[in-house]
Amino acid sequence: MRTDPDLAAEAVRGSEAAFAELVRRHQARVRGMARRLTGSESAGDDIAQATFLTAWQKLGTYAGGTFSAWLCTICWREFLQVRRKTRPEIEFDETAEVIPFERPTEKQDDRMDLSRALEKLTEAQRVCVVMCVAAGLTHREAAEATGWPLGTVKSHVLRGVEALRKHLAKPEVA
Amino acid sequence: MHEEDTYQDLANLFAAEDRALEAKPFVDGVMGGIRRKALIRRLVIAGGGAAGAVIAAFQLPSLFGDWFTVDDTIVSAVASAQQQVGVLASVNPVWLLAAAVAGLSFAAVATLERA
Repeated sequence: MRTDPDLAAEAVRGSEAAFAELVRRHQARVRGMARRLTGSESAGDDIAQATFLTAWQKLGTYAGGTFSAWLCTICWREFLQVRRKTRPEIEFDETAEVIPFERPTEKQDDRMDLSRALEKLTEAQRVCVVMCVAAGLTHREAAEATGWPLGTVKSHVLRGVEALRKHLAKPEVA
Repeated sequence: MHEEDTYQDLANLFAAEDRALEAKPFVDGVMGGIRRKALIRRLVIAGGGAAGAVIAAFQLPSLFGDWFTVDDTIVSAVASAQQQVGVLASVNPVWLLAAAVAGLSFAAVATLERA
């Protein structure tokens, strides 16, 4: 099986088939990440699509390393762009204990426990948990993608995972 | 033990959710978007090239007229086209501005887009 860097090199030379294979391999991870960041399936898929279009345009800048981490970094930037457009008055505050991003509340009951538990985290914890736990980035990769200090990312992941376990263990009473 | 190993169970839950996402429509959507952009880019380059060729053709008589004889029919055709463009511009010069803006936009798109 061809590796991601091999496919990326082929795609840089113009091979749409190679890029389609990369999209096929990584779409679930990127869509999952975008959906969890936005809290919306459609908005998440839009961001994921924009991520791959940007990746196609900027494939020449991929300098090796984990391809999925490179994609997730693009996805994070696309998410921030959308966030700035929709809520320009709110600056991202990674220390915030509130959830400032307007998240859709419809279909709450249909969501899986995991998604509901994720909603309960602070935004910074959710970002770190989504990147490190759900998308599989290492703490260092997540720190590089977000620009946050490594210790901050580790701390948010640790607390986020703890909170997530707590919420999953304690089912809500309707 | 890696720190990441302490939440492998949660990672597996998220991965199971992601695996349920249907890939084909999404992949088709992404690749369709890429092909559309590539088509637009090709059209813009072709259009820009054609426009450049027309502008270059307008300049041919004055550029080479002094060195060798350009066929009379070509010279008269170009002169007539130049006259018509001049008339059109004097009637409504806004179209020239619109054409310039469109040309610049095409150039910007063609430059930024990847094939």
